[in-house]
Amino acid sequence: MSSRRSRQSGVSRISDDQIIELVSKLRQHLPEIRERRSDKVSASKVLQETCSYIKNLHKEVDDLSERLSQLLSTIDADSAEAAIIRSLIM
Amino acid sequence: MPPPSSLKQEFLKKWMMGLHICSSSKKNMSILERKKAIKLSADIALASARNGTTCWSQAIIVNASQDDQDKILVQHVLGRESERLMKKGSVLPLTSNKRIRSRKILRRSCGSIRRRARKTIATSPPKVVAISIAKKLIRKRTQLLKRLVPGGKFIMDEISLIEETLDYIISLQAQVDVMRSLANAS
Repeated sequence: MSSRRSRQSGVSRISDDQIIELVSKLRQHLPEIRERRSDKVSASKVLQETCSYIKNLHKEVDDLSERLSQLLSTIDADSAEAAIIRSLIM
Repeated sequence: MPPPSSLKQEFLKKWMMGLHICSSSKKNMSILERKKAIKLSADIALASARNGTTCWSQAIIVNASQDDQDKILVQHVLGRESERLMKKGSVLPLTSNKRIRSRKILRRSCGSIRRRARKTIATSPPKVVAISIAKKLIRKRTQLLKRLVPGGKFIMDEISLIEETLDYIISLQAQVDVMRSLANAS
């Protein structure tokens, strides 16, 4: 499929395949598009999914930081618990 | 690309290092202050796991170095590499010769709408309108992506932008996984 396209477009085959490979790799990491199993996803759709996915990840990091901050503040007083958690992590 | 589990381990190690430095330098932080410290340590840890090999990681390090307090954290977490990476001029110049051509290839490679549109371009103007709308959408969304990825505004060509985005998403996923495991374990 990709070779057919590159022959028709007349551009160097290496860059064409490279981009297709990158875009398909990108799509594999996007949760929504992966389920759709279609090869004919437009570039703008992939970009849109990517942007909203990155925004979601940013929001999750923010929420988790908030949650961890609250958790750590409660166990700070009890140093024994903090030491246990630290030893589990390290 | 290194396997995800070693990325998570590297991130965890550096993140814990950063957290210890933050908590040792300032006791009794407010919840908001601690949250910012957690998030900052996490981002610096993520960037250091790439050790300046990607544009987004360098951008995070350079941005953090702008602030005097954060700079200390960067220096501790990155160690010997920090001096080199904090220089703004060392941001990888990610221009390439394939600029305009790559944009055309990208649009051609995604979806069959383009090919159908090229064949009928002479006979049906609505398709031409559709293409120009699609082009505008792509341009608009590429700009948005550039703003979301750190250091995206320095990336000139679309191939590098996609590569950076890919690496950034993988790293973010690792970051979220580790943070979530820690939050659930506590």
